[in-house]
Amino acid sequence: MSPTVALIPFAILGLLTLGCAAMMLFSRNVVHAAFWMLASMVSTAGLYLLLSAEFLALVQLLVYAGAVAVLVLFVVMLTLRRRADAVRPIDFSLPALALAVSFAALACFMVLSLVPAYPDSLPSVAPGVTELGLELFSTWVLPFELASLILLVALVGAVWWSGGVKRS
Amino acid sequence: MTVGLPAFLLLAALLFSLGLYGVTSKKSAVMVLMSLELMANAVNINLVAFSRFLTPEKMTGQVFAMFMMVVAAAEIGLGLALVIALYRQTKTVELDHINELRG
Amino acid sequence: MNILVAIPLIPALVFFLFFLLPRATRTKMLFLPIGAMAVSLVLSLMAFSTVFPGAEKLAEHGAQFTSYTIGVIGGVPLNISLRLDALAALMLLVVTIVGMAVQVYSLSYMKGEERIGWYYAVLSLFTAAMLTLVLAGDFLLFYMSWEVMGLCSYLLIGFWNTNDEARRASIKAFLTTRVGDVGFAIGLAYMWATVGSFDIPTVLGSAHTWGPGVATAIALLLFFGAMGKSAQFPLHIWLPDAMAGPTPASALIHAATMVAAGVFLVARSLPIFEASGVALQVVLIIGATTALLAASMGSVQHDIKKVLAYSTISQLGFMFMGLGTGNVSAGMFHLFTHAFFKSLLFLGAGSIIHSLHTQDMREMGGVGKSMKVTTVTFTVGTLALSGIMPFSGFFSKDLILDHLWREGHYVIYSVALASAFLTAFYMARLWFRVFSGTPRKAGHAHESDMKILSPMIVLALLSVLAGATTLVFGEFLGSETEWPSLVMGGASTIVALSGIGLGWALFGNGRDPEAVRARASKVYMIVTNRFFLDLVAEQYIAGGYNRLSEKVNWFDKKVINGIVNGVGVACRQAGTQLRRLQAGRVQVYQRLVVAAVLVLVLVAVLATGV
Repeated sequence: MSPTVALIPFAILGLLTLGCAAMMLFSRNVVHAAFWMLASMVSTAGLYLLLSAEFLALVQLLVYAGAVAVLVLFVVMLTLRRRADAVRPIDFSLPALALAVSFAALACFMVLSLVPAYPDSLPSVAPGVTELGLELFSTWVLPFELASLILLVALVGAVWWSGGVKRS
Repeated sequence: MTVGLPAFLLLAALLFSLGLYGVTSKKSAVMVLMSLELMANAVNINLVAFSRFLTPEKMTGQVFAMFMMVVAAAEIGLGLALVIALYRQTKTVELDHINELRG
Repeated sequence: MNILVAIPLIPALVFFLFFLLPRATRTKMLFLPIGAMAVSLVLSLMAFSTVFPGAEKLAEHGAQFTSYTIGVIGGVPLNISLRLDALAALMLLVVTIVGMAVQVYSLSYMKGEERIGWYYAVLSLFTAAMLTLVLAGDFLLFYMSWEVMGLCSYLLIGFWNTNDEARRASIKAFLTTRVGDVGFAIGLAYMWATVGSFDIPTVLGSAHTWGPGVATAIALLLFFGAMGKSAQFPLHIWLPDAMAGPTPASALIHAATMVAAGVFLVARSLPIFEASGVALQVVLIIGATTALLAASMGSVQHDIKKVLAYSTISQLGFMFMGLGTGNVSAGMFHLFTHAFFKSLLFLGAGSIIHSLHTQDMREMGGVGKSMKVTTVTFTVGTLALSGIMPFSGFFSKDLILDHLWREGHYVIYSVALASAFLTAFYMARLWFRVFSGTPRKAGHAHESDMKILSPMIVLALLSVLAGATTLVFGEFLGSETEWPSLVMGGASTIVALSGIGLGWALFGNGRDPEAVRARASKVYMIVTNRFFLDLVAEQYIAGGYNRLSEKVNWFDKKVINGIVNGVGVACRQAGTQLRRLQAGRVQVYQRLVVAAVLVLVLVAVLATGV
């Protein structure tokens, strides 16, 4: 009997992800929005667990929930002069909504009509963290090192841009 | 009751559309960057789902998702640094007030 | 290393070296580009000798060939290759000889220029690009070097970049030739879609199987590119303005590189034009129109370099007429001889300008007495261009006229003959105004030094001797050429002599109709009968003719230029309207991008028929 993804946990996590994302978009307070994003990211990590990608779920928590959310909060703090500035209009935009809706419609249509019918059952092999590690450090070792270089460059760049302005 | 690949793809499509709406409508640069992260997340869900359902042994999808995270992390770091730099210059993070690209 | 690779590579390497060196070092190392050019010249001679006498040997050795794969697109290897055949070998000689002459000449002419090192670097790259183009065994490499040349001409014409006129001219030259290049590029894409290869022999070999429609389309697109580069009507407008560049650079552009490339393209791809038939007619008509219009415009210019510029356009028209008869040697022989005498004329004009510090012929005069060598060599060039008997221009022009007559293009023939008449006339006008009479406003002329004179002497010798190769030339290119027949040669000689005669009548002995017209009050006219004839000639013959020429000039400036400018204005208007979209709001752009993506995806989905 091959493993499957049960509907109930998927529905809960999926609705949480989407719901939190929607709440993020429609909250007036930027700080609240950042927390909604955090929640959405955490639910996504749950989805990764359903797909037996444990390591990725962990990374998701560390990177998004940890680093990105904190970074966003810091920037919000730095760019707000008063507490009241955090509250802002929802910025409703009809063209953007139309675009997003038509995009969603097109994407859903394509998923439903173009993706061939696969059985719901997952392949029985579910490689674990060990295999991922081996794969990452054998086949993908060069891109992996490059990725670290990208991060370093981004780090330096971010410090450079956000760092002190020359006072002349 | 079980769900298959299309369910994940639909979820990702909806999440991507939400992010798209945010990116094109929000007037605060920080909000735009956060919406971008939503879009990156949706792509990651797609990658992981494909990887699990179609080629679980190779795990290419998971590896790619990892690289996506690296790029997304670098992007948001730089993006926020830019926001701060812009804020220093113009004292605002409102995109409507930044129109250097005006032709 | 293969000798073929070395020929263009050596000057190109000099460019890259100079590109890296600081300005002061470059200035001290001018021997490098000249040395590189000399090496290229020697190698070209060697390459030429391997294919020389003619087709049998070429068939024996096969065309020499080197090929490199630079990439694979869609499973098809993308090759660039160098190929030496008769046509290429011949052009190698022309390019390296003229290039060498120009480089030696520039040593003295450009002396003291601050950016002389850069000038030499670009000159080297220019020559290298032309050599690559000549040797190219496939249209891809051909197109690449073609574009590099466009860049180089831009850099050279705008060499004096503090001068506003030069800057404008360089941009104009670049943009106008780009218009042609677009046609060329589309033609290449069409060619790829038809044949699936850029390899020149493959493409030309299959040309007759394409069907007339496709062949016509591709040939005309290629010809459009050639029109831009070779300054054919209506894309000729950049060339007169290009005179704002240094004179030796003009010599290079007009004789050996830039403008020759267009003629060379048509000569190379002549089988495509023949497969079409219609395209050949178009080449003939455009060539004839250009030859006549440019010749008449050349006869009202006062700037010595502009006269020569229009003359080049007109002579290029002749070359295209020659090619339009479907005969390679007719067009190429004129390109060959023209390269020598036109670069000679430009270098001569440069020598005069160098000494008088003016380009205005109205301020010149009496140069003949003080600049002996320049006068003699320039006269040789003038006679060659006018098509007087023993000089090379006579033979090559006559070959074209002969072919036109024999193929039954009588209208084109008469147009060509009229252009030949005008050619002789404007050259006589130039010669008498500059060399005879007494010195005018410009100061006393003094002869230039040997660095300037020696290239001119060499080119003058070649201008005289090149005509003698008529038979060998045709045999070498594998198409028959004959000595001019007595009737044909006689007719064109009479036409040329009468052109010179008219020039002498109007401008000889220091006469200057404009000066006369300015001074001539009624009394003066009645009293001095001596000038009466001149005035009649001037009023009714020259005057009418001048007015006509000015009309043509006006037409060129307003209508042709107007159309070209109109396109520009239309673009600008469209831009002003579209500018409203560009309010600098990033999200508006973003929405447009997303909407475009949506439309594209939708189209893709619908196209797959799901």
